[in-house]
Amino acid sequence: MKTDVRTKSSALRFVCRWAALVLLLLGAPLCARADKIGDVSDINILDQAIRFFTFQDPAVRYALIGSMLLGITCGLLGSFLVVRKMALVGDALSHAVLPGVAAAFLWGIARDPAAPKDPLAILVGATIAGLLGTVFVGLIKQTTRLKEDTALGMVLATFFSVGVCLLTMIQRLPSGNKSGLDKFLFGQAAAISAADVQLMAIVTGVAIVVLLLFYKEFLVTSFDAGFARSAGFPTVLIQNALMMLLAFAVVIALQAVGVVLVSAMLITPAAAAYLLTDRMHLMLILAAVFGLVAGSVGAFLSFLGNHLPTGPFMVLGASAVFGGAFLFGPRHGVVARWWRQRSRARRVRRENTLKSIYHVLEQREFQGEGVSLNELAQRRRETIEEAKQQAIELQRYQFATLQEDGDTIFLTPEGWERACSIVRNHRLWELYLTNAANIAVDHVHDDAEKIEHVLGDEVVRQLEKRLDYATKDPHGRLIPSVSDLRKGQSPAERPAEAVGYGRRL
Amino acid sequence: MIAKLETDGQGGPTVRLFNGPPRPIEVSEEVPLEIHDLTVAYHKKPVLWGIDLSVPKGKLVGIVGPNGAGKSTLIKAVMGLVSLSSGWIKIFGLPYKTSRTRVGYVPQRESVDWDFPVNVMDVVLMGRYGHLGLIQRPTRADRDIARESLEKVKMLPFANRQIANLSGGQQQRVFLARALAQESDLYFMDEPFAGVDAATETAIVTLMQELKDRGKTLLVVHHDLPTARNYFDMLLLLNMRVVAFGPTEQVFTHDLLQATYGGRLTILSEVAHEVKQRAT
Amino acid sequence: MNDFIPHFDFQRVFLAPWTANNLESTAWIALMGFLVTAACGLVGNYLILRRMALVGDAISHSVLPGIAIAFLLSRSRSATAMFVGALAAGIVTTVIIEVIHHKTRVKQDSAIGIAFTTLFAIGVILVSLFAAKVDLDQECVLYGEIAFVPLGEFTSFAGIVLGPPSVVRMAIVTLATVLLIAVFYKELLVSSFDPGLAASLGINAVLVHYALMCWLSVVVVSAFEAVGAILVIAMLILPGATASLISQRLPVIMGLTVLHAALSSVLGIHLATWLECSTAAAMVIMASTLFGAAWIFSPTDGLLRRWLRKRLAEPAVEPTVQMPQNS
Repeated sequence: MKTDVRTKSSALRFVCRWAALVLLLLGAPLCARADKIGDVSDINILDQAIRFFTFQDPAVRYALIGSMLLGITCGLLGSFLVVRKMALVGDALSHAVLPGVAAAFLWGIARDPAAPKDPLAILVGATIAGLLGTVFVGLIKQTTRLKEDTALGMVLATFFSVGVCLLTMIQRLPSGNKSGLDKFLFGQAAAISAADVQLMAIVTGVAIVVLLLFYKEFLVTSFDAGFARSAGFPTVLIQNALMMLLAFAVVIALQAVGVVLVSAMLITPAAAAYLLTDRMHLMLILAAVFGLVAGSVGAFLSFLGNHLPTGPFMVLGASAVFGGAFLFGPRHGVVARWWRQRSRARRVRRENTLKSIYHVLEQREFQGEGVSLNELAQRRRETIEEAKQQAIELQRYQFATLQEDGDTIFLTPEGWERACSIVRNHRLWELYLTNAANIAVDHVHDDAEKIEHVLGDEVVRQLEKRLDYATKDPHGRLIPSVSDLRKGQSPAERPAEAVGYGRRL
Repeated sequence: MIAKLETDGQGGPTVRLFNGPPRPIEVSEEVPLEIHDLTVAYHKKPVLWGIDLSVPKGKLVGIVGPNGAGKSTLIKAVMGLVSLSSGWIKIFGLPYKTSRTRVGYVPQRESVDWDFPVNVMDVVLMGRYGHLGLIQRPTRADRDIARESLEKVKMLPFANRQIANLSGGQQQRVFLARALAQESDLYFMDEPFAGVDAATETAIVTLMQELKDRGKTLLVVHHDLPTARNYFDMLLLLNMRVVAFGPTEQVFTHDLLQATYGGRLTILSEVAHEVKQRAT
Repeated sequence: MNDFIPHFDFQRVFLAPWTANNLESTAWIALMGFLVTAACGLVGNYLILRRMALVGDAISHSVLPGIAIAFLLSRSRSATAMFVGALAAGIVTTVIIEVIHHKTRVKQDSAIGIAFTTLFAIGVILVSLFAAKVDLDQECVLYGEIAFVPLGEFTSFAGIVLGPPSVVRMAIVTLATVLLIAVFYKELLVSSFDPGLAASLGINAVLVHYALMCWLSVVVVSAFEAVGAILVIAMLILPGATASLISQRLPVIMGLTVLHAALSSVLGIHLATWLECSTAAAMVIMASTLFGAAWIFSPTDGLLRRWLRKRLAEPAVEPTVQMPQNS
């Protein structure tokens, strides 16, 4: 089993490395040829869908590849935000890049009014603005009494309003109106150009390579920064590197997702992955895949309509993935939990029925083995019909057999043992509470009702020891001990002529 | 900079003063931890004040003091996790940076998010990270060491368990295993007994004794006075200053404890009573 | 570049807005800005106290789908539809955050991020699909149209012309905010400061939480028209944050919040006049500038004060507690 784990993780690492390489190789030739952005208007949905899936239109290709790349990068880096509880730092960072984008446009207009959009200038400007924003958050936190959430909100709002101010000023300019700057607010995948895709591929490649090389460093600083520093890791440097990469991820996602919603692409796919796995590297891979799916779904859906913004659709795609993980995740999913809860409730009910059967038998001092449904129903304060249902349920689990006429229940050896152990748990716990915790005898029953179903063998043994192997509960009834039962009433040890509990069908 | 620490070709540390020729400095194997005139302040309020300390090798040292006495801060200062206002700290005669691979650290359990997506093995392997180069990955040998460390704290069966699905005591054992995997000579543990079950407490104490017997030095922040006397060879009574430091039987006296805790702890009178009884 | 930053002309920037022709519209815009910032700032103080500043951000985003759906369903732009939609959106957001946070191991920050981006995305899609029907556009969503406030029909009540409908609405909401805070001052304070104590005093902290979120949605939605969905967060946090740098007493903070609102609104108008940019954004920039000023010059804890103290009071470290004697 040990070797199995080792080979599994090394295989995973192998896959990771190859995936990174293939992605890098894929990115390069696809963005080599540059074409004009296709005309995306006045076409019906079916035509658009066909156009999308045939990939003949370079604009479609760029939009799709770009969306996938940004999904991968955001998913990978967003994972660190989610596990470090820094999701809202991502939100602030993504709003804070707006003035940088606007400044880059301004620079572009000054340089060449006809084509003011320069991806590299935007990358630089936005990264600087975003990092400046995080620096301000840190400064406010350090030098005032304000808490992190307030600092984040303020920086977000201030930078965003400076951006909006610049934006409205640019749109006033003769060349500013056609600049496509407004596309940066809600995103337009169709506006992704060959140069954009090239830049996105490079950034994605850098992010993947850095994460592969420094995975260990990122992991240990994210999990336990104090320990990482004590072991000599440059945690501040690593933190800054992460912020830098995040700023890059935000910037390459801007064009398609938009400033306003880009944080969702960081948080949502990663949070979905967080619900599905318990290992960081698997979470990274899953988040990248989810980001990729959300990106392509968003690009496709926004392509179907006319002038639809891409960002919201990608975000909805990501939210759908999260919703899926939330509902149907195998371990943390709501459905799985509900199912577990239900089966636990049914087990408790079964065990309570077994206990009632024991009580009935105990009342007649274990004379006669069969318990009629009537007796059981009376004991449980249920209708005969309900008692019968429970009997059938017990039969299904081979804890009891129901007589042919459907009126009397006999416990099987397993059922007998199970019933004894439940009663034993109950009475031991009652005794423990009265003895050790000094709780009045009439108050211990309810607590024992709950605890009897969850006590493990280990605890029961300790309880017995602590109680000096007492034989009677606080109400003076016998505690069925394992050895006693085996010797006396247990079917396996009873004389052969006795009939009853032990008869198996 | 007037003094610079470097390593000569033979691997021995040297110090260079005023750009003069490198001179070898004394690496003291016998003094794992030496602190001189250490002052640490948060927001201008001193937390530690003029600490002088020299811990001998192979001792199990308990750091005891009331809340806010600066017990955790002392450890953090040694590990370079908080900045010093004055003074210096040497580990085996060298600055922390140079000898940190010889130091193991067990932080407080609450200092991390136990929902983090890693399993027990991942956490213990982190103990090996300090010995690895920047982009190096844990090798098979590292995994073996991690597995041995887990075995020592009896957590090997849980190696693949996600850390959230462990009890408090088990989580503490994982942290301990991680420190063991660091294979250090000097260990710092920040309240390893906080919130653990009795079985784990015993296991931790046994482990500490074992480490001590192998010549390791341990400094353990502890807040339970009655057990402190039984667990440790030496005690450091701390309340912003070093109130006393020495062998347990000499330091664990009514007056010194009174000086450490002031009059405000009721538990103190119980302990004092016990001390008196033992004396008579 | 010259036409990018217009020439600064004192006459044009500071006097012209208040002269006969422009006076009325400037006054309405300033009043609207003041009302929005004051109402948001007062509610925002409690967000800051409860460390929920970003929940405010989340709710301000998620009222968008609420409004859009309400307009679509009611086929009108009535104020009632708007408030109902916003309230529903506010409750839905709060519930989603709570559910994700409590039912999974996803932490609250991620839960907030997921909830509001999802709802906002739905809102944006609705707006872009049915722009004509809901009479909202993306610009309005982003930074509002406070400059258009004085345009259109004025509301009149009992024959008296009151003012632009949005200003009248905002004024009612602001007054109600002040009134509610005055009435429930004790409950809000105790439940923000110490939920445990609140419970022992018989104050239902959960109820207070939801009530605050509901009222937040109401305030945010009335501010929506003026400042859009995103800049609201500035109005919510900046006044309170600025005030809390200057004072630590809640009543004083409340007063400073209102002062901050008035200053940033008027200064914002002048900045927007000068730069010819979005008025709402300019108001936020002025609000931030005021925060910056408080940060540096605050008499109690400002950067300048800190720096001076550091310069004058060497050595910085002094024992403040009586040391136990070394023995």
